[in-house]
Amino acid sequence: MNDSLFSQLSTLGSSVILLLGITLLWRKSLHAYASIFRWQSAALTLMFVIIGYFADDPELYVVAAVLFILKVLVLPRYLERMEKRFGDQRELQPYVNVVTSLMLSGLLVLLAYVIARPLVLVSDLPTRGGLPLAMGLVFVGLFVVITRKNALAQIVGFLVMENGIALLAVLATFGIPIIVELGVFLDVLMGFLVMQVFVYHIHSTFESIDVDQLNELKH
Amino acid sequence: MTGYLLEFSQALLALLLAPGLVGFVRWVKARLQNRRGAPIRQPYFELAKLFGKDVVMSNNASWLFRFAPYIVFASTLAVTFLVPLIAAPLPFDDIGDLLVVVYLLLLGTFFLALAGLDPGTAFGGMGSSREMTVAAIAEPTIALSIFSLALGAGSTNLSQIVTATLTQPGSALSPGHLLAFAALFIVSLAETGRLPVDNPSTHLELTMIHEAMILEYSGRYLALIEWASWLKLTIFFSLLANLFIPWGLALTFTPAALAVAVVTLILKLGILGVVVAIVETRIAKLRLFRVPELLGMSFLLALLGVTSSFLLK
Repeated sequence: MNDSLFSQLSTLGSSVILLLGITLLWRKSLHAYASIFRWQSAALTLMFVIIGYFADDPELYVVAAVLFILKVLVLPRYLERMEKRFGDQRELQPYVNVVTSLMLSGLLVLLAYVIARPLVLVSDLPTRGGLPLAMGLVFVGLFVVITRKNALAQIVGFLVMENGIALLAVLATFGIPIIVELGVFLDVLMGFLVMQVFVYHIHSTFESIDVDQLNELKH
Repeated sequence: MTGYLLEFSQALLALLLAPGLVGFVRWVKARLQNRRGAPIRQPYFELAKLFGKDVVMSNNASWLFRFAPYIVFASTLAVTFLVPLIAAPLPFDDIGDLLVVVYLLLLGTFFLALAGLDPGTAFGGMGSSREMTVAAIAEPTIALSIFSLALGAGSTNLSQIVTATLTQPGSALSPGHLLAFAALFIVSLAETGRLPVDNPSTHLELTMIHEAMILEYSGRYLALIEWASWLKLTIFFSLLANLFIPWGLALTFTPAALAVAVVTLILKLGILGVVVAIVETRIAKLRLFRVPELLGMSFLLALLGVTSSFLLK
């Protein structure tokens, strides 16, 4: 009973996290991007807590706390500040339009199911139902990065992809060693700060954060 | 014999409840917007008024225009016999499963669109083309989202889906069910012409869909079409309520169980009505060109629902 409840909760949580990732493709304003990322990270934190409870691993609570501070409080705050500074620039013309990208993301999730199938078949973890969903989230994040022109949207796409990787890791292993986990968080923070510097430079050069304009540098 | 009696009383109940449900949604909406609002029984008066009026018809209208209201009404009424509204294994289960339900609903939409084109007015044609745009994406989504339940139950029969959920209460919280519920909810709003797809309370030329198609109708024809569209809303709400949260349905045909079932049905419809009223108060109508995006989203939800119930069995 406990096991089936655990597996149902973990699949449900992974679905919610994946869905929030897909909503990213539908929304256009940067403000929505930041708040979707915040909600997704909150759901991810909850997943860590749930898995920590059922797997009886107190280390996961520490990871969840760090995750909460970093991804629910700090990074979305930074994103909102950047958004305020650049004005709410909308993602008006992505390389792939909204309906097509929604359909493609559906296909990407199907692809994730196909890829993760052998893994799901051999594993007997109660959380195996969420593995394809987490892999799908990685793909969806990557899809956001390559199809959106707005630099901030791309950053959020990267962060969502990272959320997917974290979810995949915790579902597949019930928590990697805490030192690795902290290293990953530091990586994300550093990556984010570096990207932020880039975005400021792009903005001061072009007065816009549309990365499509970087193509002008070639001529 | 009791079974057939039950079928007819169920259809009658849906017919009688439909105007009340619409009146209730309008009333809650008015309250939320700080208006006093018309009484809940207002739609009944509207029907009585329309049935008492003469029909005015364009000279260019053909037989299609006269027959369409009857087809729309009859096809919608037929659906109420097939959907488990108050009791689960129905005697008419063998007549039609979910595919019949979906395509009976589409039959009504199709004839309504034809009737919109028939008198040759500009608005009618515009409404028909828009309605078809919406229906083309909405119909497969309805089928897909119910399929994701059917996969869990192992049957496309609506009553069997309901009883399967009742025997396995845990499956009501599975991702397949929740995704399908979200998808069906969005599609219900689109199919019954509610916000954010269509605004049921205005006749604004540029945005109307359903109202544009029926602009040429009057008198009893208009009454039949309006009643059918309210009935459609009731059907969608009861699909949402009974397929996903089947508790309260009568499994045996005893008077006590049936009374409980009727009360729970009215309660569920009321709750969904309040939810829709809140949604309609909170959001603005979408631009027409963003409607396919919303419906694409709901199609995707249904697709993911099917995937997860198929692959996670």
